[in-house]
Amino acid sequence: MSKPQIVAAIDIGTSKVVVLVGEIYPGDRLNILGVGQASALGVRKGDILDFMAACNSTHAALLMAEQNARTQAEVAFLAQSGAHLDGFAQRAEVNVSASDNKVRPIDVQRLLAEARKKELPAGRLAIHHIRNSFKLDGRAMVDPLSQQGDKLELGFWTVTGDEAHLSNAIHLVNGYNGLEVKDIIVSSVAAANVVTPEMEKKIGALVLDIGSGVTDFALYRDGHIVQTGVVPVGGDHLTNDLSLGLRISPKHAERVKLSFGQAMVDAQARSEKVWMVGDKSVGDRYIPRLAICQILEARVEEMLSIVKKRIERLGGSLTPEDVAAGVILTGGTSRLPMIERVVERVFGLPARRATEPAWLTESLRGPEFSTAVGLLFFALNAPIPHDPKGGARKGDGLLNQLTRWLGS
Amino acid sequence: MIFKRPFTMSHPSEPPAHSDAIAHGQMPEDGVRVKIVGIGGAGTNAVDRLQLDNTGLGLRIAALNTDAQSLNSSPAPEKLLIGRSLTRGAGTGGELEVGRQAAEADRERIAKIFQGMDLVFIVAGLGGGTGSGAAPVVAQIATDAGCLVIAFVMLPFTTEGARRRQLAEQALGDLRQHCDAVIPLPNDLLLQHLPEESTVLDAFGQADAWIGRAIRAISSILFHTGLINLDFATLRRTFTPRGGKTLFGLGQGVGENCVAEALHDLMLCPLLHTPELSRRADRLLVNIVGGPELSLARVNEIVTAIAEKFGSREQTVLGAVIDEQLAGRLEICVVGATGTQARQSSVASLRTAPSGLRADGLTTPISPAIFSKPPAAAVPAAPPVHTSKLRGTKDGGAAQNEFHFVGKDEQRGYFDQTERNFFEGEDLDVPTYLRRGIKVEL
Repeated sequence: MSKPQIVAAIDIGTSKVVVLVGEIYPGDRLNILGVGQASALGVRKGDILDFMAACNSTHAALLMAEQNARTQAEVAFLAQSGAHLDGFAQRAEVNVSASDNKVRPIDVQRLLAEARKKELPAGRLAIHHIRNSFKLDGRAMVDPLSQQGDKLELGFWTVTGDEAHLSNAIHLVNGYNGLEVKDIIVSSVAAANVVTPEMEKKIGALVLDIGSGVTDFALYRDGHIVQTGVVPVGGDHLTNDLSLGLRISPKHAERVKLSFGQAMVDAQARSEKVWMVGDKSVGDRYIPRLAICQILEARVEEMLSIVKKRIERLGGSLTPEDVAAGVILTGGTSRLPMIERVVERVFGLPARRATEPAWLTESLRGPEFSTAVGLLFFALNAPIPHDPKGGARKGDGLLNQLTRWLGS
Repeated sequence: MIFKRPFTMSHPSEPPAHSDAIAHGQMPEDGVRVKIVGIGGAGTNAVDRLQLDNTGLGLRIAALNTDAQSLNSSPAPEKLLIGRSLTRGAGTGGELEVGRQAAEADRERIAKIFQGMDLVFIVAGLGGGTGSGAAPVVAQIATDAGCLVIAFVMLPFTTEGARRRQLAEQALGDLRQHCDAVIPLPNDLLLQHLPEESTVLDAFGQADAWIGRAIRAISSILFHTGLINLDFATLRRTFTPRGGKTLFGLGQGVGENCVAEALHDLMLCPLLHTPELSRRADRLLVNIVGGPELSLARVNEIVTAIAEKFGSREQTVLGAVIDEQLAGRLEICVVGATGTQARQSSVASLRTAPSGLRADGLTTPISPAIFSKPPAAAVPAAPPVHTSKLRGTKDGGAAQNEFHFVGKDEQRGYFDQTERNFFEGEDLDVPTYLRRGIKVEL
């Protein structure tokens, strides 16, 4: 067995930074050794606004995780979200090269090379080329290796990001004793991978990661991610709406949201009134719960319909047949009571809150951790050189590009 | 202690006198001369309604439009059709540029309206052609004539579409450059205060009502001398340096608990909770109008609460007026402005010396800092700006930038300083319930 690698999985969210330090035996197993958390400062809607503040928060979380783990991270895997992310579908095709017309690993490599050739606008970088299902002479198949045919096709979902945003994030991690970022993984992909059971990936599922600043989504079909996206609306918008609508301070709005918030108006909410502060202090007042729920419902419903529009605009299908497993909710805001009912109404699909894999310890099962755990999974399955099956993502390519950009 | 009230306030139920009498009758010629100018269709309509409400403060009223037909039906005593050579009196067809050119073409005629005026209220609806295009030019002309210019502008409903909203935002940016204070009244927000079944017309009426209240509140600062008097110079100083964002709020209370009620009403004032208006002020002016029972202790209670909420006590200027007709009632008006420290130096030529002290030996909590600043020789430079990448268009130039300048205030609540969050022409950082016209009852 090879020597384990100590990996830090870093998820810089809008409300908090989560760092997991894990011990990875590549392609075999992983042990989570330590957890670190810090409230994220200087981050809004998934974008780093104040570099120094975000730096301090991230380094604090890293330090805490390393102390917990009693070891130091060798490399880092970094999650990335924010409105700067974008994606598009593309197809690549090659003629099978071998004389016996059997598909060889080299053909798959050529397909990937083909996908990477696609020119991007200035300032954009490809983060992932997510592989979808193969077609060999028009026949769809999961694994074409050793099959006979002439023309091999492969669909990709390519995720791109803004160069400046990405290099900023890498810089931030590098600032921690020169910790090297081995790969960047889009948050939606990392989280979706953890919370979606293999079976549901195959029959189709939509994963919504509703965080504080942004909502990430990933759509599974036939076992592959066919579309991802970021809608820059999250729990902070709920709080801001409440603050403006109820004329209360953001601090009180946050409390009201957590204590009395509900994604839908129901009979009980219509008649109830709640205290704004609740400690009978001067300036405290009654707020009708109806008002709270109305404001939240409007926002949640709009946010979900934007996700729906974004998916459908790019040709993604959201019929109950194509997304048989329904919608899986994760992220901190998915804790809002009755949110799954609104999801069902908007998408016309069954919805449920994500359940984390059973092997995870109790303390890491919250929706806040799914992205970081997902990162460790990627570290576990990180491409091993010359392994034809591990070519789905080429993180090295991205990093090389970035290094060049930073060096110039 | 002097309870002086030089002008009588007409009773609201009194039939309105001849409009000229309202316009000119009760104003001593050496006092502060005020004119309200409605621009465009929405502005003219709003001003017409004001005229019917008998303000009794001797306000002069003028209407200005590119549409001859609409102007003809207005009862305003002073009317000006602009851009006749361009539009032949047929309106702008919603083109901002036409509205701007119309005003530019008639600069001299417009300047005559402002001759000899001290304070000008501009009332306009943004999003159309005349209001959006002409109002900034008119404001500039009024400023050049030496007037203090306060603009009340109605912003279109989100449902009216992205184009109108973009026009309105551009115009708002332009106006902020040329006015001392701009008070935007988003129609989305005003609809919040109406019953569920209200129509769009009701919302427009609501906007008119707010403008009326606001103009009355500011005018009463000037025309009613009281417990603690504020004069025109103080008002002008509040908005110096110009170009910052404006904070404006009104609150009223009735009965025994009128102080608590008025404060509560003020805190709930929708104008203090819009993304477009400032919520903290560098310089704050608080005016309290109450019945004869208004005591200094109560005044103090109010100003402490307000100063705590909106700005520092040191920068708060207080006025208190006794109005015998307001027995058992209390009205609070808060006007504030923000500006960067660097620009807080220039005090342009003032007509009157600051006389914050009026009632015998009463010291008002006027900050010495406000008055002791030496007038700077140089005209203040343009404010620091930050342009949003998403806003793109550079041709808007300084006008666009003005709208995005970073001050201490919060332009878009929590999401200030972040890039605008557009989806299908709507800014997602603005609360959904506001954009959808969902009424929230508190």
